[in-house]
Amino acid sequence: MAETDRPTTNQFMSVEQYLETAESLKWLLTVAWLLPLLGFAVEIFGGYWGDRHNKVASYLAVGCIGTGFVCSLIALFTWGGATHWGHPEEAVAAAEHDHAHDEGHAHDDAHAHNDGHEHDEEHAHAEEHGPEHDDEHAHHVNDPYSAAFSGSYYMLGQFGDLTVSLDYYIDGLTIVMFCMVTLIATCIHVFAIGYMSDELTDDYEDHFVHLPGGKHFHRPGRFYRFFAYLSLFSFSMLGLVIAGNIFMVFVFWELVGVCSYLLIGFYVERKSASTAANKAFIMNRVGDFGFLIGLMILFTSFGTFRFANPHPTERAVEPGLFQMLRGEHGDLHIHGEGREAEVFLTTATGDHDKSIPYWLLVTAGLGIFAGCIGKSAQFPLQTWLPDAMEGPTPVSALVHSATMVAAGVYLAGRFYPMFTPEVLLVIAYVGCITLFIGATIAIVATDIKRVLAYSTISQLGYMMLALGVGGWVAGLFHLITHAFFKSLMFLCSGSVIHGCHHEQEMTRMGGLRKKMPITAYTMLVGVIAISGLAIPYLTFPFIGNIAFSGFYSKDEIVATALTHMSLNPVHFLLFLVPLVTAGITAFYMFRLWFMTFAGEPKDEHVYDHAHESPWVMTAPLLVLSFFAITVTWGMQIDEEGHLKPGYLVNALLTAEPAHVGEGLTEAGILGLSLPGHHAVHEYHATAGTAALIAAFAGLLISYLIYVNRAIDPAGIARQLSGTYNFLVEKWQFDNLYDAMFVRPVHIVARWPQAFDRNYLDGFLHALCRCAVWVSKWDRAFDERVVDRLVNLVGDVTFAVGRSLTVIQTGRLRQYVMFIAVGVVALFALMFVFMPTL
Amino acid sequence: MNEIALEGYLGIGALLFVCGVLCMATKRNGIGVLMGVELVLNGANVNFVAFSKFGTLGLDGQIASMFVIVLAAAEAAVALAIALNFYNNHLTIDVDRANELKG
Amino acid sequence: MSDVVLLSLTIFAPTLGALGLMFFEKTAEEAMRIYSLVVTVVTFGLTIVMLGRFDPSLGAAEYTVAFQMDSITPWIPAWNINYQLGVDGISLPLVLLTSLVSMLAMMASWSITKYVRGYLILFLLLETGMLGVFMALDFFLFYIFWEVMLLPMYFLIGVWGGPRREYAAIKFFLYTLAGSVLMLIAMLMFYFNSAGSALTNYESSFDLIKLTQLAQEGGLLNREVQLIAFILLFIGFAIKVPTFPFHTWLPDAHVEAPTPISMILAGVLLKMGGYGIIRIAMPLCPYGAQVAAYTLVAIGVFSIIYGAFAAMAQTDFKRLVAYSSVSHMGYVLLGLAIWQVDRLTGATTNSDYWHMGINGAMFQMLAHGVSSAGMFFMVGVIYDRVHHRDLNQFGGLMQKMPFYSAIAVGIFFAGLGLPGLCGFIGEAFTVISSWSYSKVMAIIAASGVILTAGYILWTIQRVYLGPEYKGPHPEALTPANSRENTVAVVLLVLAIFLGCYPWSMFSLMDESTRLLTESLAQGYEALHETVEQVSSVTTGQ
Repeated sequence: MAETDRPTTNQFMSVEQYLETAESLKWLLTVAWLLPLLGFAVEIFGGYWGDRHNKVASYLAVGCIGTGFVCSLIALFTWGGATHWGHPEEAVAAAEHDHAHDEGHAHDDAHAHNDGHEHDEEHAHAEEHGPEHDDEHAHHVNDPYSAAFSGSYYMLGQFGDLTVSLDYYIDGLTIVMFCMVTLIATCIHVFAIGYMSDELTDDYEDHFVHLPGGKHFHRPGRFYRFFAYLSLFSFSMLGLVIAGNIFMVFVFWELVGVCSYLLIGFYVERKSASTAANKAFIMNRVGDFGFLIGLMILFTSFGTFRFANPHPTERAVEPGLFQMLRGEHGDLHIHGEGREAEVFLTTATGDHDKSIPYWLLVTAGLGIFAGCIGKSAQFPLQTWLPDAMEGPTPVSALVHSATMVAAGVYLAGRFYPMFTPEVLLVIAYVGCITLFIGATIAIVATDIKRVLAYSTISQLGYMMLALGVGGWVAGLFHLITHAFFKSLMFLCSGSVIHGCHHEQEMTRMGGLRKKMPITAYTMLVGVIAISGLAIPYLTFPFIGNIAFSGFYSKDEIVATALTHMSLNPVHFLLFLVPLVTAGITAFYMFRLWFMTFAGEPKDEHVYDHAHESPWVMTAPLLVLSFFAITVTWGMQIDEEGHLKPGYLVNALLTAEPAHVGEGLTEAGILGLSLPGHHAVHEYHATAGTAALIAAFAGLLISYLIYVNRAIDPAGIARQLSGTYNFLVEKWQFDNLYDAMFVRPVHIVARWPQAFDRNYLDGFLHALCRCAVWVSKWDRAFDERVVDRLVNLVGDVTFAVGRSLTVIQTGRLRQYVMFIAVGVVALFALMFVFMPTL
Repeated sequence: MNEIALEGYLGIGALLFVCGVLCMATKRNGIGVLMGVELVLNGANVNFVAFSKFGTLGLDGQIASMFVIVLAAAEAAVALAIALNFYNNHLTIDVDRANELKG
Repeated sequence: MSDVVLLSLTIFAPTLGALGLMFFEKTAEEAMRIYSLVVTVVTFGLTIVMLGRFDPSLGAAEYTVAFQMDSITPWIPAWNINYQLGVDGISLPLVLLTSLVSMLAMMASWSITKYVRGYLILFLLLETGMLGVFMALDFFLFYIFWEVMLLPMYFLIGVWGGPRREYAAIKFFLYTLAGSVLMLIAMLMFYFNSAGSALTNYESSFDLIKLTQLAQEGGLLNREVQLIAFILLFIGFAIKVPTFPFHTWLPDAHVEAPTPISMILAGVLLKMGGYGIIRIAMPLCPYGAQVAAYTLVAIGVFSIIYGAFAAMAQTDFKRLVAYSSVSHMGYVLLGLAIWQVDRLTGATTNSDYWHMGINGAMFQMLAHGVSSAGMFFMVGVIYDRVHHRDLNQFGGLMQKMPFYSAIAVGIFFAGLGLPGLCGFIGEAFTVISSWSYSKVMAIIAASGVILTAGYILWTIQRVYLGPEYKGPHPEALTPANSRENTVAVVLLVLAIFLGCYPWSMFSLMDESTRLLTESLAQGYEALHETVEQVSSVTTGQ
């Protein structure tokens, strides 16, 4: 397309249609977003003053989030209708059909007629190339703003040219996330009605809190509070997704953090819970520290927080961050070399009158990514997530696997245009390290929820790795599929825990599939999905391959990683580690399933009391397992091993940043190449096969150890006791951080205290003592010198007077004599001293 | 006419003055003291008159002496009243007995 | 009601109310309390009337300050001292905050049972002093009100305080007095240097508006004297803020002061320091302010970190909150001072970000006024019940006093800077804008968010969470009564309102702070140019 042109319509619709769609999408999603907040307010107050036995709060919460889901779904179809589900060629076809007579005017006209009959350059471009190529992604530069809608809710502050406001930004990714979050949240809300039902009492006995008298702790039930928190969380999470600027993301970032804090610490009387909550919040704050630095850099350099302004007529007037940084093809305008390198920004005036040093851009990216590290529990801030399992299981499913922790990945994806290749490499390596650490610890964990927690960390690592190696769609695609099967597995584990009366140790379970079949088999769906198992080369129309969702997304990731390795052989670990870990993943997930559901019961007591959960808990399992299987339908791998994207991926693809599709060669200071779509397609078959082999290997080993008992796990643990203990101790991270940060901070904290007391106050006290000493001395001086002098004068005067009384005889004649003598003496003196007189 | 010079008048005045002073100093009788006072005043009068004649005072000297005479009369009246009162209280007019102002 | 009457009435309504207290029976304590509460409510109402009359969009056309409802009445003509009042976007929010916090503190004063009449009289006099400081536009009048406020505070701490009240009261008094002496010196410097311009009719003047205009033209003090005057004023006000190293009176005063007085102290008195800097120190010494900017930023940032660390080490609940005040007020200093100029031309290079920083600092003052008053109140509520403040001897309050604990956690989160609550906006805006001034300082300031989260969450855990209360007098832990709940809920609602809708305050302040930045920039540039000329002449020779 021509650089001179600023499109007045986009490739899908006219300006009026655009504005109309924007308005309806805005209202739909805003309603979906704000309903849970309303629900929260009603639930928290109504619940506090209401009856502890009724379930109104939960119905209200489900109603709010369910309505939210319906709104999101309507929004999805509205958006899909307007943007032809991200198939620009269909849009072109439609446009051609509608305006066949108009075709001659398909040229670049700078002035918008706003009559809906305008064809823009992009349009023309699509017309030209779209139908001729069977694979549009290899040749077509995606315009992510053509299917996006943005606007402002209200202003927080305006200072000169700087504006901070609450905005919305709606594109394919937003809507897919909305649907995912609301759907999963609805399922989990419903599940929680059953799971939390023992809170419906005035006298809840907490078996995990031991009072000094040897008794358990009793308190009123807090059913309503749980649902209020869940609603608040849903609100915050949706706010994060709909956020149209990075500052608003930060706002909701913190809000989901505090919701997570409240939910982890839901059992406030448990010391472990409140400590875990604190840990989660503070570790997130460490990440947010980086986030804040990123915000500062961006705001100072760009002067705006907005992601992008996709409005067809206004996008050039008020460009967002992405548009300022990158040109229409997603390229950076870099000038200078090495440390002097600068990136010129496209501002409203069109001139390059603003620039940002390249290193600062890298720093900003790393800062924002630091926030993602904290939220998504990536290395080195991953340790809070396993502890967060102290919260009730629905919380783990919703907050700590499907949505909030994925927010880090979401943000990394949303903010992708701002990341330079250097940042992407960091992201890739962080993801790589994380996925390996998580997977290895999961091998030895025996707490059912902790296994899932570590698996979450590991899967989040996969997503980050995918984003880092250039697989934008792969990472976000995995985010969606993972959300479904991981929340499913967490809910299954919740069902198990509920059925086994709060027993979480897998070593005391076994054989439970007979007692709770629905749970067991839905769990198996999740396990297969996460392991990425499939029957290759067997495809059905519409459905695609015989494979669950995880297969496609993981396949996509591994393929991108392999392509990345082929382009940058130095970074071979970025392919090998995830490949090996794919095997480990299959191993520990099947280990979990075998230990819990298969084999013989290990603890008769637990087994005897186990029971299948009520329908209110199993129904969500069925729904989620349905989606865990089918969310990727429509995708298929053809005979040559090429992946054909399904509806979900197409929706995501519309939001893909412009520079991703084509890939990069020798970009950035490090000269890193990123694979484009076309390159990835080349490697799909190889990578898919390798990943599948790894997964089956993991499954096989797991089967041999835990079902067939061909290998004794205890023996391996004994032989590798060093490694085993290292893994059980979670790679020593907790101990390390405790020694490196927590204790030093407490020691440092005493310094100001001591400084205040000993030096500042000491100085002050010394000053006061000095003043007191001086005044004492002053008093002594007064008393001993000044007073005495005055007294002396008085005394002398008195003494003289006293002595003169002698001559005051009272005798008249004597006085006369004195007068006479005095006169004579006076005269005599006069004559003596003044003889001239 | 062999006029008497200023020194003569002044000599008389001085004599009168000294006599008066001596009288005041020696007499224990209150009346006597008063008489001494009169002498002193008259000595001064002589001097005034003498200076009015020989000096530059002119008539002022004579007027001053007239004042002194009037004053002496008034003073004598008051002093005699004091003496009488003193006598009434102490049955004597010995001034040495009047030592209540002793300091 | 004319403007001058309205403003004067607002200032002196509490004094009149205090006079009215004389007519009560000595034993009618309840009646006196209710009466005093009514007085503070009326005062609050009057400030609301002021808000209604205030037009935030109005800026003075030519000169520095957009004062409204201003009036001049000669007071001591011999020395050209006027009774001059007025408000602008900087002082009005603080006036509102003052009357509001006073009202809430009065509601919290039911716990005072000793010498009730004396307490109430002093309290009302204190309110007069505080309102006067924010509305005075004559430096001398400002100084008078500043001192008027000092004495009641001294007695309120010294008579109604805790065990070490005399020590705390004297410490407070001495510190503040030292500050006001420095201010007095600076005041006289301005007074005697103001006679050389047509603006002041060639008379010495205390008129802040004229002095500001004079400074804007660069005609008030020369460079060296300005720097000295600024340092004097800054120390005077920094004691009140308080910033490191002048802060040690604060923990003692807070610990010993009775709860409502702690609320006033944290909610209003500390703001006077910030207000003094923004209203007097900076506009009157723009050159000095610019030269000292880096020091100010460094002190602010150091206070943030220092206060946070110190708070973490405390075991006394009130001391912890007091140190958190030191930390939070550091942001105010940071936001005010991030003023970057071009070394060659003297032009301000980051005016928008600085403007944002000043607004953020102002907002932080308001937010801190709400959140710290709330925190002190929350501490006071439990102190009234169990009579100790040892953090390690609490726990489980969530069980015993659920409603109170929920509100308390909300208010503590406001202090922590959680989005949606008031503390966030001030902190975030100042920190984000500070990057344009100094990267290092911005990074250090941002790291404060971790420490703040650390000590606040740890406190919440030790006090409110956990299974049971560990300290003495567990039987006294009754749920908060409706009066206490009202105070707490009002503060929390306000914290949420400010946090969600900060534009309500920014729109009031924006015009005034914009004019302020412009005035300061001009004031600096005026002197900067002369510097350049002088140096070019010398180099030419």
